[in-house]
Amino acid sequence: MWPIYILNGLYFAAFIFLISLGLNIILGVMGLLNLAHGSLYAIGAFMAAWTITRLAEGASIFILLPALLTGTALAALFGLFMEYFLIRPMYKRALEYQLLITFGALMLFEDVIKMIWGGEAIYASTPFVLLGRVNILGNPYPAYFLLVMLLALVVGVLIWLFMAKTRIGVMLRAISLDREMATAMGLKINRLGTFSFVLGAALAGFSGALVVPTTPALLGFGMEPLILAFIVVVMGGLGSLKGALIGSLVVGQTRSLGIAFFPEIELAVMFLIAAAILVAKPEGLFGR
Amino acid sequence: MTKKEIGRRDFLKKAGAAGVALGSAGIAGGYITPRKVAAQKRAIPKGPIRMAAVSFLTGAAASPFGIPGMNTYQMMAEQYNKQGGILGRKIELLSYDEAGGVDAQVKLSRKLILDDQVDVTLGYISSANCKAVLPLSDELGGLIMAYDCGTHELMEGTTSPYKTPKYSLGFRTKAHLGIDNIGLALYIKKYFPDIKTMGGINQDYAWGRESWLIFETAMKKLMPHVKVVGTWWPPLGTTDFTAHISALMGAKPDIVHSSLWGGDAVTFSKQAQGMGLIERSRMAWSRGEPYPQEVGKEYPEEQIICCAGTHYFLYPPHDKWPLNKYFVEEYRKRYGKYPTYPCYHAYQAIAVYKQAVEKAGALVGGWPTIEEISKAVVGLSIQTPSGHLMIREDHNGIEDVLVGVSKMTPDFPFPILDPQRMEVYPAHMVNAPVGIRTVDWINSWQS
Repeated sequence: MWPIYILNGLYFAAFIFLISLGLNIILGVMGLLNLAHGSLYAIGAFMAAWTITRLAEGASIFILLPALLTGTALAALFGLFMEYFLIRPMYKRALEYQLLITFGALMLFEDVIKMIWGGEAIYASTPFVLLGRVNILGNPYPAYFLLVMLLALVVGVLIWLFMAKTRIGVMLRAISLDREMATAMGLKINRLGTFSFVLGAALAGFSGALVVPTTPALLGFGMEPLILAFIVVVMGGLGSLKGALIGSLVVGQTRSLGIAFFPEIELAVMFLIAAAILVAKPEGLFGR
Repeated sequence: MTKKEIGRRDFLKKAGAAGVALGSAGIAGGYITPRKVAAQKRAIPKGPIRMAAVSFLTGAAASPFGIPGMNTYQMMAEQYNKQGGILGRKIELLSYDEAGGVDAQVKLSRKLILDDQVDVTLGYISSANCKAVLPLSDELGGLIMAYDCGTHELMEGTTSPYKTPKYSLGFRTKAHLGIDNIGLALYIKKYFPDIKTMGGINQDYAWGRESWLIFETAMKKLMPHVKVVGTWWPPLGTTDFTAHISALMGAKPDIVHSSLWGGDAVTFSKQAQGMGLIERSRMAWSRGEPYPQEVGKEYPEEQIICCAGTHYFLYPPHDKWPLNKYFVEEYRKRYGKYPTYPCYHAYQAIAVYKQAVEKAGALVGGWPTIEEISKAVVGLSIQTPSGHLMIREDHNGIEDVLVGVSKMTPDFPFPILDPQRMEVYPAHMVNAPVGIRTVDWINSWQS
């Protein structure tokens, strides 16, 4: 079962990586801890699930997979509105106000989800079922999980290229390194802030959309991934892409092997590793 | 002799006359007394019955349990109102969300009893909420009927025998999780006597831990040769079970016991199908009844499923039990789905209240007090869409339990319980006697 344990760890890491990546970009560029990140993830999940259920009857996988992008788009749109109407007026306020407003958004979005999609669970497992299974050293393994790993890798590389090679990416990194200096250099902080918030929200929505083929979209859906994404961000270092990647891999593998070999204390072990990293390197593995 | 002496004969005459007079008065009095009572007949209050219904309307438990339960309260309140209400009073149903945790529910219950002065609270799915709120019934003097929470600890004491009832104004109008897990063990013994190993995957809180405890205790008595190869305790709301599934596949149990519910149950089931666990081990779901309908035709066959009682849209059969036919058709007409076990539980709570009020009302000749209603609930045996429900002196409902195996048929777009392999275990086989803890009772079974 060893290859499967490792694959499970990688799958979970891929999924947590996408969520923490969005959280990390917003945190790095805007200095904002978005507690509603899990709600944006849930919005992406609901929207994608809803679209899939509308298309599912007889649709091919090549139609259903792009349908997941509707979740990404709606989460980005919510992110845009949230940043413009809720976050922007709070820029000049203390950190507590920003935390409170994002917490308020978390509550608000839960009700918005309920208003749009009702309280019922939405089941959208058709892509998961259609992709079927592959054989990994004699063990069946869902092909969809491999696809999620691949997509997370592609998104990770694209974000890295974007941050390292494009003009906007460099500006975003400049803001995250020294906000005052970037302002003094004439960067349009507000507009770039909005951009990074929308990008982060889209990543949250994308991860939510990717998860619904494996689990129904439910109210209260975003809390568990939010907590895990926080652990990853803290472990890997605030605002670090490399940190998010390594943090996700540590969390993913610890969870997978922990559940296989020491299930009673798996969660405690994960938090102990996070605590040990913070004691040794308070800024996180790749924090500045 | 100016003063007339009263002789023995005179005395007897007068005493006799007095006796006759008194006797007549007594008869007359006897005739008059009921008139006096009739004159004191209690009035039926003019306003509607204020009935608080508390159920999850948000959060993970909303769609599988909370909303179907609330739908049923609304449906039945409307039905009863159409029939004239309860003792002529219409029901005003006040809906509240059970979300927000124990503190929020304690506050809400205080408000309902003290400020709003509701006539009764029907509610609670979460065992933690039931445990926190039921003591308030006696503390604040409000009638509370728990409708869906499963913990066997709610009405049990810490040692056997324990004193009953625990709360004089608090009830649970259904059986506890003991029936599901004992029913599963009895079913496995009958249909799968050759199994050698078992494992468990249950959520890491009271519900999961208690479900496994009862199942494991019953299995040790019924099938002592079966070894436990591992137990896993994912947190509530887990969306990725791949690691648990691989661990279970590594441990190779013949039977996997699970009390997972809601999204967790569906997620686990889908991922277990994808990873091949379902083909290697047989699942035994202590509360699996709602999910075949939720998942549809992709729900796997050959799953052992328990119905939290005999709560099933096809059982009791409609031709033999028209109440189930009525309930299923009415619910489906309104909400587009077949009712699941929380619907049956909500029916039980509102029906127990109605019948207890009517019984107590007939005895006292008017609208009864909550103490009188409470006394009328004890020993109440009512017909429900699922069969019979009895509320015992420990203020807990006892029910039969239905267990079966999922099977796809041409008649429904999802697997149903195979009619050839359904088993109903009567209440006395799956409910501990009054005053005896469930675990102690199971341990007292002769092998």
